[in-house]
Amino acid sequence: MSQATLLDLRDANLGYGDSVVVSRLSLTLRAGERIALLGASGAGKSTLLAELRQRLAERAAWCPQSHGLVPQLAVYHNVYMGRLERHSALANLCNLLRPNRRAWAEISELCRELGLDGLLKRPVGQLSGGQRQRVAIARALYQQRELFLGDEPVASVDPHQALRLLALIDKRHATSVIALHQRELALTHFNRVWGLRDGRLAIDAPADELTLADLDRLYPDAHDANDAEG
Amino acid sequence: MRWLAVTALALSLFAQTASAQTFRFTAIPDEDQSRLVERFQKVADYLERKLEVDVEYVPVKSYSAAVSAFRNDQVQLAWFGGLSGVQARRLVLGSQALAQGVEDAAFHSYFIAHQSTGLESAERLPKAIEGLSFTFGAKTSTSGRLMPEHFLQERFGKSPQELFSRVGFSGDHSRTIALVEAGTYDIGAVNFSVWNAAVEDGRVDTDKVQVIWKSPAYTDYQWTIRGDADERFGDGFTVKVRQALLDMHNPELLASFPRSGFIPADNDDYAPIETVAESLGLLR
Amino acid sequence: MPRAEAISAAPGGLRGDSPGLRLARRSLTLIAACVVLLPLADMAVITRDPWSELGRMLSGMAWPHWWSLPSPIGAIALTVAVALWGTLLGILLGFPLALVFSRSRLVRAGCAFVRAIHELFWALLFLQVFGLTAVTALAALAIPYAGIFAKVYAEILEQTPPAPRDALPPGVGRVSRFVYAELPLVWERLAAYTRYRFECAMRASVLLGFVGLPTLGFHLESAFREGRYHEAGALLWLFYLLIASLGVWGHRRLLPLLVVGSAFLLGPWPRIDGDLLWRFVSRDLWPAPLREGDWAGLLAWLGEIPELLPAIGNTLLLGLMGTVGALLVALALWPLASRHFGNRATRLGGRGLLIALRSTPELMLAFIFLLLLGPSMLPAWLALALHNGALIAFLAARHADALQPGMPGLNASGRYAYELLPRIYPGLLALLFYRAEVIIRETAILGMLGIATLGFHIDSSFAYLMFDQAFFLLLVTAALNLGVDALSRRFRPRDVVLDDPCSR
Repeated sequence: MSQATLLDLRDANLGYGDSVVVSRLSLTLRAGERIALLGASGAGKSTLLAELRQRLAERAAWCPQSHGLVPQLAVYHNVYMGRLERHSALANLCNLLRPNRRAWAEISELCRELGLDGLLKRPVGQLSGGQRQRVAIARALYQQRELFLGDEPVASVDPHQALRLLALIDKRHATSVIALHQRELALTHFNRVWGLRDGRLAIDAPADELTLADLDRLYPDAHDANDAEG
Repeated sequence: MRWLAVTALALSLFAQTASAQTFRFTAIPDEDQSRLVERFQKVADYLERKLEVDVEYVPVKSYSAAVSAFRNDQVQLAWFGGLSGVQARRLVLGSQALAQGVEDAAFHSYFIAHQSTGLESAERLPKAIEGLSFTFGAKTSTSGRLMPEHFLQERFGKSPQELFSRVGFSGDHSRTIALVEAGTYDIGAVNFSVWNAAVEDGRVDTDKVQVIWKSPAYTDYQWTIRGDADERFGDGFTVKVRQALLDMHNPELLASFPRSGFIPADNDDYAPIETVAESLGLLR
Repeated sequence: MPRAEAISAAPGGLRGDSPGLRLARRSLTLIAACVVLLPLADMAVITRDPWSELGRMLSGMAWPHWWSLPSPIGAIALTVAVALWGTLLGILLGFPLALVFSRSRLVRAGCAFVRAIHELFWALLFLQVFGLTAVTALAALAIPYAGIFAKVYAEILEQTPPAPRDALPPGVGRVSRFVYAELPLVWERLAAYTRYRFECAMRASVLLGFVGLPTLGFHLESAFREGRYHEAGALLWLFYLLIASLGVWGHRRLLPLLVVGSAFLLGPWPRIDGDLLWRFVSRDLWPAPLREGDWAGLLAWLGEIPELLPAIGNTLLLGLMGTVGALLVALALWPLASRHFGNRATRLGGRGLLIALRSTPELMLAFIFLLLLGPSMLPAWLALALHNGALIAFLAARHADALQPGMPGLNASGRYAYELLPRIYPGLLALLFYRAEVIIRETAILGMLGIATLGFHIDSSFAYLMFDQAFFLLLVTAALNLGVDALSRRFRPRDVVLDDPCSR
């Protein structure tokens, strides 16, 4: 594994303003890695992802947890927003009134793969939760970056669909960092796991060296419960 | 974007509709301002025949609106009240009073009182009005404000605010009558011709409100023309306009003002009004 | 009113720090201030025989003489045209200002200033240079509305959900970001507010007729003033119908047609006299001693302004009383138009009443009360309270209609006090604080009752052609408004999300 290093953090303190959420963080992200980011809510996953997003800037596609979709706009326009910076303001304005033909073709192909065919003109506000999730992923895929950063991108779809979506993400990105809460998925589908606990990086290891029990320790409540039983 | 274009187009269309040399006049009668345009269109037609230019009537609402229309050259001729005429001639240099109504040479104000005050008609304004409530008409009305205030000052040596418990401005002669009839105000000052017409038509209940004092005579309404009229409409135009006004004998036309006819007038006839207005602080 | 909140806080009375209690305390403070200051106001009731005049008015409303109207079509068309184009120009000016509103103190101050002056006074100002023309009418609406739109649009834009903006890839330009990730999110609210403002513009457009622009108000005011009540009744009914049917003729799809069509009805257009304009702006508006640098003379000039301090006092007092009165009226009237109370018939009646109260110009309401109660501050107070209270009640009812009561079995008083009022009260109070600014502005036009507010003296100054004095008093009014606005911003419930943008 002598891949190029994309990012190297040494003793970094991450947070918002004065409050430090993740302290003394050291980690390395190499090209070609597929990283599952685990941790209880509040452990600092989103903070870490925001930091990665900022440092990797234009190299990373981004799929936020809250989706960040515009409910009033059609699926097409929401996906199009993935490449908003690559067109002039005028072209973007025209596209609102009359879709750009090339973009339309690309986006309808992408949406077909995500099972959103026929919905391109529908306002996102009228879609189901699962459909919205896929629109958010479509927008990230449409960005066409080398790296995929996702904050729980497969949280609200069934396990079968989650696998399909992850496969699609893998197909289009050599490297990915994805926050998850499905621990099994982290072991089966990723080659490395970063586990955060109480604002520290508790796990940084290849997936095949870890067990579900290792991962359980990231979740204090579950761990306590086990202790109590044992 | 689209709206901007439409706006620009629409505005440019209108810019062309402003026509050039039409002689415009305005007039507000001291009572009954219904169907202004309809009634004064006949006066416009008459003037058009006499003056041989296009004449248009511009309706206005108040004396101050009439003055500002005159000042802005939106109208070149106007039928003003005594005070508003003085105001207008001060603002537009060279403008002159042309003619006044037959009645305007000796115009009066009436002081009217609600029956509950127990006041009777008298030669002099009774002392008993002190401490009662009082309403003027419009703020710049000559017969409903300026001259009544002047006569009150003359008689009592006090401002109305010192003299009365409350002082209102009803805004209109008809409304002054209505307010005093309802007893809202004890006393009101009103244009005598408006009062007479209202009594004649039975629009006022004289058991409830009656005249307690008739003011001395003063000059009131007049026609005033802008000083640049000759320059714009040809030499001798001003004289022609005056003649047309003096020659207006058709009762139907005169009823709009309402006057029985017009007689010559000039700026000096209104010097007393000007003095009074200055002393009351309504002109400076 | 704040009773509901007090109950929820028992047994500690009004002590505590919940938002509801804070609101209750503020409301009670406001009412207490009003009660304490009430003795300063002239509240005498003098009734003699108002009934014959009121009877004539009533019969005028009951049997309107449609046939005696001098073809109202032109006046109606102009009323709509002025309202529509005044609003449109207000948007064109106000929207760009809204985008820089939060960043520029200068823009904020400028907007507050133009808002602070009543449409009628703008009209009187422009009347002097543009005469009785469409320019005067449009400017009188567009300029204050630009200030209002800038403020409200900016507030709505500020509440744009940030998630879509944050999700954008880095490097997206400002314009693209705005039209994709911000504007669509708040479009509905912007549109709803604009629609509401258009209804206000309709009323203002009618009001412009009072100073002589040939809208519906021109004929309405003359007829009413001269006691031709059958004609006034017909015009008033026409106006109510126009407002009530706004949803039909002002439909989104018809709007473009209306805008283009009504453009041809605007007019007349002035010939602008540059000298006159310059003279007005450079000389007439400024006191002579100031132009000549004569400071002692300026003091004398100030001394000639009649009773400035009492005028300010009267304006503030009437403003406070009007605000508190509007609060009480709104609390009493909103259930009349709400779907949670009564049946179809009562609601129809209630809505009709609210439309009538909020559409009838205050001046007319005041005149009716003047006849009934005699000359004092009372008629003006009632007119302000009813007019503004009805407006707030209408919006509060709309807010309540969007709510679903959690306990359907409650009786009406329980629904009012426990289910609905606690939820709509913060919004209602916020609305009232916004309205306080408007109420202060409106005290200006009730001068005919002989109450010497600032507006009374401004009107006089315009009538006596003392534009320098009028302009100075306008500046004082504006300063007063800025103060009241700042105060009401401080005390209005800030933690409330105004989900109805029309609440301003």
